[in-house]
Amino acid sequence: MRRRRMSGRRISPFWALCVAAGILVVVFVAMPAASMLAGAGAGLLGEALRQDDVRRSLVLTVSAALITTVIGFVAGVPLAYLLARKEFPGKRAVEGLIDVPIVFPHTAAGIALLTVYGRQGIAGRLLAPLGLEFTETVAGIVLAMLFVSLPFLVDGSREAFALVDERYEHVARTLGSSRFGAFARVTFPQAWRGVLAGALLMWGRGISEFGAVVILAYNPKVISVLTFERFEGFGLRAAQPPAVLIVLVAFLVFVLVRALSAPRRRRSGTEPP
Amino acid sequence: MTRSRQRRPRRPRGGAARAALALAALLFLAVALGGCGSGARQVRLMYAGSLIVPFERLATAFEEQNPGVDVVTESHGSIQVLRHVTELNDRVDVVVSADEQLIPPLMYERDDPATGRPWASWYCSFATNRVVLAVSPRSPLADELTPHTWYRRLAAGDVRFGLADPRFDAAGYRALMVLQLAEREYDEPLLLEDTLVGRFTTPITVEHEKGVDVIEVPEILETSAGSNIVLRGASIQLVALLESGDLDCAFEYESVARQHGLKYVRLPASVDLGHERLRDRYASVRVKLDFRRFASVRPEFTGDVIRYALTIPANAPDAELARRFVAFLLGPEGRRILAADHQPLLRPPEPDDPAAVPEEVRRACAGAG
Repeated sequence: MRRRRMSGRRISPFWALCVAAGILVVVFVAMPAASMLAGAGAGLLGEALRQDDVRRSLVLTVSAALITTVIGFVAGVPLAYLLARKEFPGKRAVEGLIDVPIVFPHTAAGIALLTVYGRQGIAGRLLAPLGLEFTETVAGIVLAMLFVSLPFLVDGSREAFALVDERYEHVARTLGSSRFGAFARVTFPQAWRGVLAGALLMWGRGISEFGAVVILAYNPKVISVLTFERFEGFGLRAAQPPAVLIVLVAFLVFVLVRALSAPRRRRSGTEPP
Repeated sequence: MTRSRQRRPRRPRGGAARAALALAALLFLAVALGGCGSGARQVRLMYAGSLIVPFERLATAFEEQNPGVDVVTESHGSIQVLRHVTELNDRVDVVVSADEQLIPPLMYERDDPATGRPWASWYCSFATNRVVLAVSPRSPLADELTPHTWYRRLAAGDVRFGLADPRFDAAGYRALMVLQLAEREYDEPLLLEDTLVGRFTTPITVEHEKGVDVIEVPEILETSAGSNIVLRGASIQLVALLESGDLDCAFEYESVARQHGLKYVRLPASVDLGHERLRDRYASVRVKLDFRRFASVRPEFTGDVIRYALTIPANAPDAELARRFVAFLLGPEGRRILAADHQPLLRPPEPDDPAAVPEEVRRACAGAG
């Protein structure tokens, strides 16, 4: 026997609480972002772009993160598809493992990578003859970015693939498509938005990475390292140009991600009274 | 109605209750941990990175002697240590720099805008050190670096060596001084140039001014691609890279090399900045930092024997406790801890201006002779 209280036009305390908490969270997140963007007047931005080291660092950061994302795409998307479609022993463990970098403190990730890919690490020694070194190199930056950002692409893609009905693939195959054909012509065209959003998220995560990168490669300086160096070495004023620039780039990436994922969203909640 | 409710399967509610309980327990733990030491008196220490090992011990010992006192520690390159106080508005009780020379320009000659008075008005030098070339135990070149060969190996460029950033860390500009002093010692007139040329995107240069070799460090200091030099913000950050074998060697303080059990090449006395009697010799080199853009500091450092110095900033939150800590540090117990960690000490400690030094500190200095 359930009694239903009709609240009429009164706002129930429950929703009032939700709204109040929501406002707090929104203000908390919006204030620093807004302060940064408000500070990013044309003057500061122009100043940032006129400084050689900031410009170089921006190009380095954006392109290293892009290389990272391409590598992640080639390696991570097949895995994501596998995870979305197949059951196999140890699958849960694999899924968990993929997400481990999310909870790793990034400095710890950098140290872990150093022990494996450093000059005396197992992988480091194997790859050195091929001319691949990971300390103080772009390769090291890419490595660090890859480790911490891969989960975003794999998780995003896996969810996107899982949303594509497997029956369409069966239909394509009964109509004579190969597995590759079915994937390329049926699955991917339906999942690409989600995959791309995952890739962009990965790219953005790579751009913003600091802790793991700084341990492998202090030089050449990615923009987060440059910002930190400026702050520590020269003060707040000097750190502002690169900081503002990177916030703007990150914001742009974020807007792209939102734009891509928006149409997939269906409203599932009800309107609050 | 009541009865029917009780008979409902309780698992989902039980689960939620357990989760809530776990969350509450976590929250409690966090609050309890966070609350530890709250209400305790705090002394905040900010010191040169090369002092991390002994200062952790000093902090523990001081807390044991003073129940209810919480020692908070933080370390950076020495220039940063002072900048944290004067430019980043950190309220610190005791400041320790690896170079006494840094304190007057960065703290005496500038005023705290809140009070209009200088950030500090005295310092007390209490320790010294020597620069050595620490060698990685995992380096294949470990046996080839000797007091007779090291400088040639560095100049040859096939040794990967670590350098603290001379713009931020005393160990960094001291390493440059060492290289320049080695030119004379080994009669290798272009040693510094050969060791550094082509390794940075903007070069470090040397000019000779009235018998003094002036090393000029550019504002943007970045190693070039493929450089055999690895730059880090502070010398202490190079230790892990030595241990992992990513560096063959690095300029470090002797105390740091010994604390970490690293092998090292002892440098000649005329080069290692560790001998009072050779101060004139050391003074034949100078390092100039070119900070045109930000102009927050425009420092010039003349070669000198290494002297660590401490001070209590004028805006220290708990000056009384700060003085007590300094007296402890300079007293028998503090000196024993420092010595046990291979930190060479000045006997006695030397205040720059005995009249300006607080009474407790002056007494501790006198007692430590």
